[in-house]
Amino acid sequence: MRKTCAGIIAGVAGAMFLSALVAAQGDAPRSPWKYYPEDARANKGDGGPAPKRDLTGTWAGESSGAGVERLVPPESPPPLTPLGKQLFDRNKAEGANVVVAESNDPHVKYCDPFGFPRNMNDQIRSMTITTLPNRTFVLLRFMNIWREIWTDGRALPTNFARGRDAHDPTYNGYSVGRWEDDYTFVVETTGIDPATWATESGYPHSVDARVTERFQRKSKNDLTLTMTMDDPKLYTRPLNLGTVHFRWIPSQTFFDFTCIPSSVQRYLKEMADPAGKPGGGAR
Amino acid sequence: MNTKVVASVVLMVGLAVVTSPLFAHHGAAAFDMGTPVVLKNAVVTEFVWINPHPLIKADYKNAKGEVEHWTMEMGSTVSAQLIGWSRTTLQPGDVVTLYVWRAKTGATVGRFNKVDFADGTTMRDTQRGADDGGRTDGNVRN
Repeated sequence: MRKTCAGIIAGVAGAMFLSALVAAQGDAPRSPWKYYPEDARANKGDGGPAPKRDLTGTWAGESSGAGVERLVPPESPPPLTPLGKQLFDRNKAEGANVVVAESNDPHVKYCDPFGFPRNMNDQIRSMTITTLPNRTFVLLRFMNIWREIWTDGRALPTNFARGRDAHDPTYNGYSVGRWEDDYTFVVETTGIDPATWATESGYPHSVDARVTERFQRKSKNDLTLTMTMDDPKLYTRPLNLGTVHFRWIPSQTFFDFTCIPSSVQRYLKEMADPAGKPGGGAR
Repeated sequence: MNTKVVASVVLMVGLAVVTSPLFAHHGAAAFDMGTPVVLKNAVVTEFVWINPHPLIKADYKNAKGEVEHWTMEMGSTVSAQLIGWSRTTLQPGDVVTLYVWRAKTGATVGRFNKVDFADGTTMRDTQRGADDGGRTDGNVRN
């Protein structure tokens, strides 16, 4: 009984503490130009039915501070072919056993763009979707990236090799989209620059990779994105890149986060390298 | 289990709920996350407000009277702003006590934990600001 009472008291104290935190945040001056994650977090429930064929708006992802959980991570281990394994082994992603100084992640080292599909499964802070009659745009706040998805019925390019009709691979590739039903928007992408990583953990992809995204708006407040990548040269079967969840942001406001190459070089020189390489760069 | 222990557990769980997986970026594999080094009466030499991580630079006079030049990283500018930090929170010449998880290499660099100001207030890091090195995004000045 005594333990139960103690638990109740502690629980009430914890709730009061949290309330005080929220109240303290609520008392602070507020600006319409600032993002307040507690507002997005407080927007509970589904908000009602989803509008038909409409993803328009600004959404909070798992790194938004709004308590949005990732639903499914990229599958691990990946089903690599021998060539895929060879390329994967070259990629040293930062992690429990690899410090920043030892990583060769091109984004961590040089601010290189994530590229697609990594920019849809890593550092998911917020995403804005907007449309024109013939295109849908996905605007990512992390690195201020925008993707262009054509909806005019055109076919995807397939030749990224040689010849006058070849297309140059790009960081975000070439994308087309269509509504599978009133709530599911399917996007196919080809022509992704093979220099980029497909995931934070360094999964490789070739120039022949084809990525399928399924955006499903399940309610006014909930949007999920499931991604698969078909790349037979490097994977023995289509790779599941996971499912990310987005929540509607009531204020529709978010902050940007840009990687500045000169800042990263300073960070690496004065902080990460001395921290990761014995004797390296210590002042 | 006494009330304090239960309350502490509840508060930590509460903080975890409040903060959620916010702005994960670089990890802490390079740092000794056991006990933070305490740099008492350190003098701030520069507060570098950059991404991916702001850098706090400070001079600390050790027990031998030698001046150590320290550099420490904290959570990103955007996450730090959400709990009250700004580019002017620390200024050159400020005399403060810094708590830092030192690099395993032994260099005078590390992951910032918290700062005690001369007026008795404390500000913490977002990602590694708890006393156990966990998150404290919900704490502003406490």
